[in-house]
Amino acid sequence: SFMQGSKLEVPLWLAKGLHDSKRRIISVELPKIYKEAWRTVFSADANVVDLHKMGPYYYGFGSQLLNFDNPENPEIAQTILQASHRTNRFRRIMDSSQNAYNEDTSALVARLDELERALFQAGQKGLNDFQCWEKGQASQITASSLVQNYGKRKFTDVDG
Amino acid sequence: GDLGPFNPGLPVEVPVWLAINLKQRQKCRLIPPEWMDVEKLEEIRDQERKEDTFTPMPSPYYMELTKLLLNYASDNIPKADEIRTLVKETWDTRLAKLRLSADSFVRQQEAHAKLDNLTLMEINTTGTFLTQALDHMYKLRTNLQPSESTHSQDF
Repeated sequence: SFMQGSKLEVPLWLAKGLHDSKRRIISVELPKIYKEAWRTVFSADANVVDLHKMGPYYYGFGSQLLNFDNPENPEIAQTILQASHRTNRFRRIMDSSQNAYNEDTSALVARLDELERALFQAGQKGLNDFQCWEKGQASQITASSLVQNYGKRKFTDVDG
Repeated sequence: GDLGPFNPGLPVEVPVWLAINLKQRQKCRLIPPEWMDVEKLEEIRDQERKEDTFTPMPSPYYMELTKLLLNYASDNIPKADEIRTLVKETWDTRLAKLRLSADSFVRQQEAHAKLDNLTLMEINTTGTFLTQALDHMYKLRTNLQPSESTHSQDF
């Protein structure tokens, strides 16, 4: 049992479950990265701030935070939206993932949150598919990955 | 459809797949398309570098045709190496332009973009990335609406 006014760390799903705007059982304190001070850092063109260290689900978690009727919600929503497109993050992710020069992109990727990493991978895939086509590998027939794991059956099993 | 007649020494138009096949069997010589020429390609490359918009390409399949012909019939194509380089340079310029365009579109959070004269090959190389990125931004934008129904966006 809990004392009224006590402060606890709980998982997001639990906080969401307990939350009820009418009954006010709980109130949620914003993690530092979504608070005022950090938001200004972003607005001042955060370039490639290490979001992974802060997150690693900066956008996803930030969006979920909006469930808790915090008066700062509009500012939070603005900040994460702007982080996605007003900084150089999008450009950097796009250019690095789509550029074929085999440069070491690991330093950049380390600073991306999970959503951005997935995006980076999408860019890489586009590039890899192109390069694979360019090498002529696209016309080679390969077994689908779905099928590769099927066990080989012996004739005796089949005939029964 | 019907093809032919095939008379020795006389050029005839056939589908690309057949041309490549016959060439591989050493039964013919391929004649490159008119645009697959150093001067013409230099012109295209230079225009591409100069203009902000995309140059209309002589074929919507310029990359594919270049690859096929240079792979299977480079002996029939004068200055094949130069041609390969010129096409690659043009491709690189076009893709860089596409990324620049995408960045500007995203920064300004535009609703529509119209990009003329892109070929499918170019669209496919950046397409998955772009649609995914724009989709995420769309979801983040819906966060701005205060109505109840938009609160739980699953990522």
